[in-house]
Amino acid sequence: MALVHKLLNGTYILSKCLKPSVASCPFLSTSFADYCSRSLQKPVATPGKASTQRNSAEGLQGDHQREVALDITSPEEKPEVSFDKAIKDEIKEHFWRLKDEIVNHWIGPEGRPLQEVIMEQARVVWQFRGKEDLDKWIVTSDKTIGGRSEVFLKMGKNNQSALLYGTLSSAAPQDGEKSQSGYCAMISRIPRGAFDRKKSYDWSQFNTLYLRVRGDGRPWMVNIREDTDIIQKNNQMYSYFMFTRGGPYWQEVKIPFSKFFFSNQGRIRDAQFQLLLDKISSIGFTLADKVDGPFFLEIDFIGVFADPAHTEEFAYENSPVLNPRLFR
Amino acid sequence: MRQPRLREVKAVSSGHAAGGQLGQNSNPRLPVFSQRSQNPGSQPQSCCGCPTSRGMSWAQAIMLARGWRGICGAALTGAPFSQVPFQVPRGLHCSVATHSSDSSLVPRPPKPLWQPAKPLSPHEELFRLAPDGARDKASFVQAVQNFGQHNVRKRGHVDFIYLALRKMRDYGVEKDLTVYNLLLDVFPKEVFKPRNIFQKIFIHYPRQQECGLAVLEQMENHGVMPNKETEFLLIQIFGRKSYPMLKFVRMKLWFSRFKNINPFPMPRDLPKDPVDLATLGLRHIEPDLSARVTVYQMASSKDSTGTADSTEQHIVGIQSPDQQAALARHNPARPIFVEGPFSLWLRDRCVYYHILRADLEPPEEREVEEIPEEWNLYYPIQLDLKYGRSGWDDYEFDIDEVEEGPVFAICMAGAHDQATLAKWIKGLQETNPALAQIPVIFRLTASTGELLASSSGLEEPCPPPPQEEEEEEDNTQRQQQGQS
Repeated sequence: MALVHKLLNGTYILSKCLKPSVASCPFLSTSFADYCSRSLQKPVATPGKASTQRNSAEGLQGDHQREVALDITSPEEKPEVSFDKAIKDEIKEHFWRLKDEIVNHWIGPEGRPLQEVIMEQARVVWQFRGKEDLDKWIVTSDKTIGGRSEVFLKMGKNNQSALLYGTLSSAAPQDGEKSQSGYCAMISRIPRGAFDRKKSYDWSQFNTLYLRVRGDGRPWMVNIREDTDIIQKNNQMYSYFMFTRGGPYWQEVKIPFSKFFFSNQGRIRDAQFQLLLDKISSIGFTLADKVDGPFFLEIDFIGVFADPAHTEEFAYENSPVLNPRLFR
Repeated sequence: MRQPRLREVKAVSSGHAAGGQLGQNSNPRLPVFSQRSQNPGSQPQSCCGCPTSRGMSWAQAIMLARGWRGICGAALTGAPFSQVPFQVPRGLHCSVATHSSDSSLVPRPPKPLWQPAKPLSPHEELFRLAPDGARDKASFVQAVQNFGQHNVRKRGHVDFIYLALRKMRDYGVEKDLTVYNLLLDVFPKEVFKPRNIFQKIFIHYPRQQECGLAVLEQMENHGVMPNKETEFLLIQIFGRKSYPMLKFVRMKLWFSRFKNINPFPMPRDLPKDPVDLATLGLRHIEPDLSARVTVYQMASSKDSTGTADSTEQHIVGIQSPDQQAALARHNPARPIFVEGPFSLWLRDRCVYYHILRADLEPPEEREVEEIPEEWNLYYPIQLDLKYGRSGWDDYEFDIDEVEEGPVFAICMAGAHDQATLAKWIKGLQETNPALAQIPVIFRLTASTGELLASSSGLEEPCPPPPQEEEEEEDNTQRQQQGQS
């Protein structure tokens, strides 16, 4: 974090007042400069806010299509680039969040009274009622690997839904390595607490994912990723398919969590185990159905609920042919 | 020719797998991508080597290919390229004069003796068509069988199979299981099976196993389910413990698990007739099973007399009895809108539909329908008990769902202009006489695929409306932001 760099720099200069050159600590200086340049790149109306720096630091892929409704700054509001001010704002914001967290801990989980949380049967996790709700999502496409699909995310009609639209193109990038291409994805950001600590969702009391969408008949894939602190878990995710009907009516999609299958590095694994719901970090929607053309998906909200009629724990059993070790 | 083959092998393994390991390839991949034919060597007439010739004869191409192979061979042994004596075979119709005049006028650095063109694949000539031949299954099968005839020992079968996999899409056989089995038949049998413990430990004949995996992977990408013949061939060729066999077992498992998970199944072969396709699409998007599909106009081809200005496009509409009743109840003072076109994908075909809807009524004007007691599904209907439900029994989401106006009818037409849709409205008036009194406004946007939201600037100006009763022309430049 820049705070650390600033402190280290400051102390270094204090201790070695004869040599105030920053060049002697190249590591600090280069990362210092890097941080500074990244905060300069975003012409958003509030450059000093910590949220911007967090956005730029997190998803480099998101930079390629930052179509999360970028505000064009009006000429009057020139973004002031003052590193000290940015640092102060960031410190204040993080301490504010820490204070919120401590206070909320007394009230109950995530600031809601425990009674309410325990008896909750249906919870809305992501809703799309304003521009700030779009900031919680990153959109990517195969442009990052050299393909030609485009994807954009914007608020829908009446600010009542989010519209993910674009064009899918499965023309492979001609770089000799990849022979296949063509995907678009919308991934939720990992929730962050004070000092950018990763938080996770706890859905252990629910057993079904609920989506209210309106698509165009294309099949999508819903991916859930668990807590990614362990490096090996970076490429692991649990997925299932979401089939949209198309048409002018809203569609309710209910996917029980027991149906999600496990995959690692993009391939389904032989050893399947169920999705554990206590540390979910992000959810994502991917379109890769090998059909070129425009697409759109309108999402009203995403929620989880506990379906009392669904008693299945896990839908896939391990086969002794593929996994003899499990059956020894 | 080793160099292209290495590239093919690299290209087959997925881009995000670290190193093209066989184990990675044998798992079914998700999300599944299509494999486009890259055509690296499918044009023997491509201009390679000669900058001024417009085309080369086939014999020269082969000669060039052999020369290219020689270069590659030289490169692999480490000889620098410039030392390879290579004469550019110029075409016979390429005049000498132009070439020399170019070089004499301006001193240029020496051009590379060959252009970086796509090298020819070794068995390309087997897929050369007869002058009147069509690219279909029969010619593909013939080409595959020719390979076996000319080459009893099946030399270069791996390259041939890769080439054939690339060519399948051009010949239209990529979803045909018998063709895949035929392609697997090209492998020599019983040669690649491991026979002792050392061969079993190390991957026996890795290139051939990768090739077998590539065949199965293309089957997987196109959704072709292998059958017993495939299993028998794989066992015969690679043995039971090989990676292609492992992938086959996985395909059998996961394909059968996911065969019927689509809650809105779509037939694999879509009808060619646009009216049938429109009917299928309309039935697909309308959940009410009692809805009736009406064909208002059949597509008619242009007559030779050319009396009609334009070809008549098909118009197919759907409306359910509930929608009919709602339209009959609609207040004639409020206009209804024809919106569209919106895109709908049926497998790999995109069709467009329009809807007839009204805006949401403001809360004060909404009338609450009285459902007779016997028809109400929700119990209790009217109960004055203090029937309080505590917190644990509440399955509703704490959010206001998006409310939109009612949809009265949906149609699919060949053309998206107002004249065609006006015909649809006229046809609707036969079953909905109330429609005659209601003003209909056309809100047609460019089909950017956005439902009920137009991007400013792409909106098409609507043509002046035909002379219909009670039809107003909307202000066409009106933005559709939050009109409900």
